Amino acid sequence: MNKLRWTGAAGLALTGLLVSGCGVPGAGGTTASSGVTGPRITQPVTVQEVAKPGPTTLRVLADSGEDATLKALVPMYEKKYPNVKVEVVTKGFDDLMKTVVNSMSGTDAPDLVQGNQGYGTDGPLVKAGLIRPLDDVMRAYGWENTFTDGALKQYRWTPDGAVFGSGSLYGISPATEYVGVFYNTDKLAKLGIKPPTTYAEFTDALARAEAAGQQPIMLGNSEKYPASQVIGLVQAQNVPSRDIRSWISGVPGATIADQGTEAAARTVQDWAKRGWFGNGYDGISSDDAVAKFSHGQGVFLVAGSWNAPALQQSMNGHVGFTLPARPDGTRATVGSLGLGWHISSKTQHLPAAVAFLDMLMSDRFAQTLADVGRTPVTGQGTVKADSKVVDQVNGIGLKLLADDGQNFYLDWASTTMLDTIGSRTQDLLAGRTSPRGFAEGLQNNWLAFQQQQRQDAAAAGGTP
Amino acid sequence: MVRADHEPPAHRRRHGLRAWAGRQYWPALWYLLPAAIVYTLFVLRPLGQTAWISLFRWDGLTEGRWVGLGNYRALLSDTRIPAAIGHSLEFVVFYALLPVALGLFLAALMSRIRVYGLSFFRAVLFLPQILATVVVAVSWRWLYDIDGPLNAALRAVGLGSLARAWLGDYHTALPSVGLVGTWVMYGLCMVLFLAGTQKIPTELYESARIDGCGPVREFFTVTLPALRGEMSIALVLTITYALRNFDLVWNTTTGGPGTSTTVPSVFIYQGAFLTHEVGGAAAISVCLTAVVLMVTGLVMRLVRGKEG
Repeated sequence: MNKLRWTGAAGLALTGLLVSGCGVPGAGGTTASSGVTGPRITQPVTVQEVAKPGPTTLRVLADSGEDATLKALVPMYEKKYPNVKVEVVTKGFDDLMKTVVNSMSGTDAPDLVQGNQGYGTDGPLVKAGLIRPLDDVMRAYGWENTFTDGALKQYRWTPDGAVFGSGSLYGISPATEYVGVFYNTDKLAKLGIKPPTTYAEFTDALARAEAAGQQPIMLGNSEKYPASQVIGLVQAQNVPSRDIRSWISGVPGATIADQGTEAAARTVQDWAKRGWFGNGYDGISSDDAVAKFSHGQGVFLVAGSWNAPALQQSMNGHVGFTLPARPDGTRATVGSLGLGWHISSKTQHLPAAVAFLDMLMSDRFAQTLADVGRTPVTGQGTVKADSKVVDQVNGIGLKLLADDGQNFYLDWASTTMLDTIGSRTQDLLAGRTSPRGFAEGLQNNWLAFQQQQRQDAAAAGGTP
Repeated sequence: MVRADHEPPAHRRRHGLRAWAGRQYWPALWYLLPAAIVYTLFVLRPLGQTAWISLFRWDGLTEGRWVGLGNYRALLSDTRIPAAIGHSLEFVVFYALLPVALGLFLAALMSRIRVYGLSFFRAVLFLPQILATVVVAVSWRWLYDIDGPLNAALRAVGLGSLARAWLGDYHTALPSVGLVGTWVMYGLCMVLFLAGTQKIPTELYESARIDGCGPVREFFTVTLPALRGEMSIALVLTITYALRNFDLVWNTTTGGPGTSTTVPSVFIYQGAFLTHEVGGAAAISVCLTAVVLMVTGLVMRLVRGKEG
């Protein structure tokens, strides 16, 4: 071969390399799922069924917030099912959310994995058929008796992953989490304020804290989302949970640009204007805010119930927790069950995986969950936590579920909602947008997302 | 067609495709081959793939849907983009122009004044360049904190009214992130320029002094022109950094408050990793790459001139 041909060959090789990646992206990989395939679970799996395949390795990928839970669960599980070795990998929440979908699409996907409700993570997992519907498991174990139907909706999807809030059950969690109000018991005592139980008492306490020269609420909003949870807490006072959840799960015709949401936005904007959040909250991270609160800055902290164990420790027990009730005595707030546990649709160890979920969801394990600081939904509310504030969290959590007052998280509504709501909330609190502009901004994002969903569904030949 | 075993005429050897077939170029090409393979595999191929993916609506998992230039059209009508580009241009001032100016000043200073332990200072000033950006971001977040050292210092000298959450304030967030970039980049510029000044023949300075030049005049007539090459390298590096900057913004402000520090690369990250719109993210990447190439080409032309 002469040298010119060598050049040509090299050029061709290069072009080939360039073009080699140029099939339709994603083709030949996963495709949209069409419901459950493979064996079904008709009754609780037995030790014998799990033992049948011999030595088994069950691989688990979870949020690092589950470390303590898994540390307690895995030895119990391995003892009951001695042929199974559980391999646990945990990742920080952000890391997990960014990698879980790809991990599950790989050839050696873990058998059990935690996702996150909504269109951001669980949607793609369902759409790509990477996780298995759990309806059969739910029926075999009677989980529908543990949860209200409203609560289970957060794990339900149509099998094409297009609509959320109805369809098959794809995940489950034994725990619940929600946004409420922590208070500094020393400060309340000094101010002569009783821990508020209703919304009216709460706002009254805020005003009195201000009058006494205290910062009423500690807020750190540099990650953009914490202030939106404050709005969600107030919104729950005057918008029915059902309406909020319909909007989040994308029910056609739903809107968040309603008077209740606008009023909530106006209230929180007003709190910011009056300095109730202190200075520079947009430059403080949520973790720093929790730390500052535990060091005595702010009378109240609006934050997730999951902060309770850490605050109990750092504040030496001088902390309480409440969720202001609505005028009719019921409670509602931003919140959901824990990150859903999913079973990979590729798992070769279905009985072992189901047995794992069963043990996690069992009433017997509920006390262990409480011991590691979680709020168990299981265990029929008989568990006792070793700290007062965690007990408060757990008690109110069960009431909240009984009132069907879990509003979910607004950012589940679309894939870009987390960023939209964060930026819009910062704009709102800084007075750069009106309460109306705030609500309309969210609604516009929602509409654009819904339209895109319909387009995609139409292009995929499915039903919109 | 020229057959390779023919020696091409000497005067044509330097130009054109025929030269490639010339015998004496082959050894050189063989030496280039390993680098060319790596470059092709890890730069050109992903680039081509990105461009290809940008023509699809793709969630990163299921089969993509061909949309042609749809993603680019969507980009044009995306109202968030112009503001983000504006922020990027502001960052160019902080990440490129300021560091280059500072670097020039320091290099001129250091080349004139004998500083005891010069290499120590040089190393210290270069340090920010080596640190992981996340470390830089976390440290500066602490410095800028509402209760942080910067505000404490302001209060200590009676300027407490200026104290604020620098990264959480609509007016100061962008310059605050920008100054972190200045801090990261000026050491690199300084070291580049110092190296450059050392190769300037001392005779040039001597004759300039004989002609009666002061330090300022000397800088503009001797040092600055001699540093054109280094300037173009420094500008290309820093401008590229400014335009593709993501980690610093993400780890200090997440693009906030509101959208006041959002830059195009934030949209790329969100599209690729958070919202599963890989096709759209690829389209932004392609545009960003094009802009970076154009700007660096322009800088090379303007600053380096014919010397390059």
